[in-house]
Amino acid sequence: MSERALLLTHDGLATLVEELAAAGTPAVAPAWAGDAGRAAGASAAARETEYRTVSGAAELAFGERLPRLSLKQFFLPPTEVLFSWRRVGGGVELIPPPTDFAAQVVLGARPCDAAALPIVDKVMNWDYADELWNARRAATTVFSLACGVEDDSCFCSAVFLEPAAARGSDGRLTPVDGGYLVETFSDKGEAFVAAHRESFTDLPAGAGGEVLAVQAESFRATARERVAGNLAVDHGRLRDWLDHHFDDPFWAGLGPRCNGCGVCASVCPTCHCFDIVDEPESVGRGVRRRNWDTCQTCVFTLHASGHNPRQDQNARFRQRVEHKFLVYPLKFGDVLCTGCGRCSRACPTGQDLAEILADIDARAAIDAGAGAVGDEGAADEAAS
Amino acid sequence: MSVVNQPQRSGERAPDDSGRATAEFEPRITAFVCNWCTYTGADLAGTSRLHMASNVRIIRLPCTGRIDHVFIVKAFERGADGVIVSGCHPADCHYTAGNYHARRRFGVFRELLSFLGVDPERLTFSWVSASEGGKWADVVNETIERVRRLGPFDSYHGLAGAATPADDPFARFEMPAGATGGTAAAPADGHDAASQAPSGTGDAS
Amino acid sequence: MSELQDTARRLLDEGLVQVVIGWEEGPRGARPVFVTSAADCERLIFDARCVHNLATFLNPRRSQITALGKAAVVVKGCDAKAVAGLLREAQLERAGIVLIGVRCGGVAGEPATLAPPALSAETVSARCWGCDVREPESVDMLVGEAQPEPPVTADLDERVAALDALSPAERFAFWTKELSRCTQCYACRQACPLCCCERCIVEKTEPQWIETSPHPRGNFAWHLTRAQHLAGRCVGCGECERACPVGIPLGLINRKLQQVVYELYGYTVSEDPAVPAPIGAYATDDTQDFIE
Repeated sequence: MSERALLLTHDGLATLVEELAAAGTPAVAPAWAGDAGRAAGASAAARETEYRTVSGAAELAFGERLPRLSLKQFFLPPTEVLFSWRRVGGGVELIPPPTDFAAQVVLGARPCDAAALPIVDKVMNWDYADELWNARRAATTVFSLACGVEDDSCFCSAVFLEPAAARGSDGRLTPVDGGYLVETFSDKGEAFVAAHRESFTDLPAGAGGEVLAVQAESFRATARERVAGNLAVDHGRLRDWLDHHFDDPFWAGLGPRCNGCGVCASVCPTCHCFDIVDEPESVGRGVRRRNWDTCQTCVFTLHASGHNPRQDQNARFRQRVEHKFLVYPLKFGDVLCTGCGRCSRACPTGQDLAEILADIDARAAIDAGAGAVGDEGAADEAAS
Repeated sequence: MSVVNQPQRSGERAPDDSGRATAEFEPRITAFVCNWCTYTGADLAGTSRLHMASNVRIIRLPCTGRIDHVFIVKAFERGADGVIVSGCHPADCHYTAGNYHARRRFGVFRELLSFLGVDPERLTFSWVSASEGGKWADVVNETIERVRRLGPFDSYHGLAGAATPADDPFARFEMPAGATGGTAAAPADGHDAASQAPSGTGDAS
Repeated sequence: MSELQDTARRLLDEGLVQVVIGWEEGPRGARPVFVTSAADCERLIFDARCVHNLATFLNPRRSQITALGKAAVVVKGCDAKAVAGLLREAQLERAGIVLIGVRCGGVAGEPATLAPPALSAETVSARCWGCDVREPESVDMLVGEAQPEPPVTADLDERVAALDALSPAERFAFWTKELSRCTQCYACRQACPLCCCERCIVEKTEPQWIETSPHPRGNFAWHLTRAQHLAGRCVGCGECERACPVGIPLGLINRKLQQVVYELYGYTVSEDPAVPAPIGAYATDDTQDFIE
């Protein structure tokens, strides 16, 4: 989009953050979760980061650990009010929530978190346009930060992305000497840069600028190479396998380890299921809220009759995999996963999605090789 | 569902309770009492025309053993500034041991609440028998004086409002102060929330 | 290691159990494993990364595990106390499980490292502070070498005391801040070996005693209830805190209640299922200083 790239120096970034704070524009960025994180030699636990609204550059944790929760919370909060109600006379008055969200900007989003936004857009505008989601999306400008790859649990390149993917971003920062190379991908990104032009500097003309451009490309290439070794799957045959192995004994191997807590869904940038509850606030008034929910709990599908179509954790974990890698792709043309690896890192019992996908892909490869897609008996024999 | 039926208050209140000066603050107290001893004792206090403050709303239960800790939590959520739990003296329980079980549970729960920052002064546990109308009046009056000194428990009542200040449209409206009269019928002050809403929430009016 | 594997192999070979629940090497470090064939017993490991409380997997409501058949489970001292809790509350029959005890000198705070760390005050889990069980006694067999005491780590009691020293308003502010991060995912509940109710109170909607909305009001109600329901039952394994994706220091609350049940009722959680838990029991001369 931008005709030529710009540079955001470390000082420029600090100025930008302060300027946004002074203007009252929320700037969401990866920041240290605790005060201790900034200290040199801080323990791994102390170096936790989180996305939050920042007011100064000292809070920023760019290029540090992956934030604990994804960016999702700024578009689909853990709890949000759908409407308030109160009794007036003999009737009930409904008070809709405002959807006139003030403009906010995300600085330094992980590309895997930014990419989740257009993916979830599809379900949020499928049979019903979700006003709250859409209004927050419209009010938000997202600048991602090219990622240097967190660890071996990352697999963005196995789900059609890469560590510097532009998808879902209005602009991108890539680390170079002295700051970040800035590119814009949308009108929104362009407008943001234009509005804060004094924080950005032109790339040095000639060789100096080229050096920085080469540095940026080198950073991205190194990251691409680093993540590519973590996982590679063939989504076509993976889908075929999932489609034909609903009752495969494979699933019974995944359920026992799973606690059924849904931490994976909480930390996931693409999991978007919610529960709707009514809460009284006093006599004659209350609110209807929606709260994060997860298919991993036993009550998610529990019927009022007591019947539960997903009776055990084997079925619930299968649902997690099938929704992300079979149902959503068939319905919306996108895998419901950006390979951030948070589920694997956060899982208290070591359930590992990359490992599971590799396992299924290997089974699918055997099926495909044997020409036995759809023949469950043969597939099971081959797999065991 | 409202667990706590709030007392009527006189005068104007600030929309969020924060303007309630301690001097004119009338605590809202919820009392969970056992049917056999304290409820009868409270009845006796009434029929004996003992003088006591009217801030307490009594919820009668079969036994202190039936009083779950979530009742206390719900009372604070719904606007109580203090809570009384009262039942039969030891060895007097209609069900033999309900009060002994309650004593263990509340011994622990009181410490737990305190550890999470709820001042134990907001809680009163007492044994009041059917013949102790005078003691009930004392328990009520002392509890009210204690809670009056502590002030309104706005920090707890406002917890949900603090969750999502920017995103929560309800935060723009009146928090549940509870002065909606003694009945569950439609409040006469039903329009106060709209009148308190800042401009820009045109949907409310 | 081979002693553990040989024991598991023998149990499976002789048909005494159909599954051995232990730990294996996973992609991100140690993790629970369910071994159903003697050939797979070589996967079993035990080292300082084996932090998970495997008693959690004995919850009889986990039908995907009970379907595997009779289980042998590898237990550390804290795990054995949790098994005792399940036996005490009639969730399990002792004859229905085989307990393989492992001698334990403390575990790390995190299982997700590729090699077991040398235990030090920095790396040892907070749960190991004050642990008095080097080898569990209630087990059917015991494996591993004698272990030293775990390194002395930050005193959990000191952290509790620091909070106790604050004013109620300061404590309230502290917990409001901590609990505001909670999303009510219930990972703490699911990781807890003693949270094994058929239907948790937070999932009951008539009436809805606990608001499931993760605003601090709902979160206070949830965490007060979780803690109260575990008072005198919590074994201090620390799995709730480790499972929490947003780092809420639940261990402080659990430790506080361990102190309270000890001070009020002289109760310490033990490996003996015959000792009744303090809540649910009573004494006619229990303290009632707090009652008017």
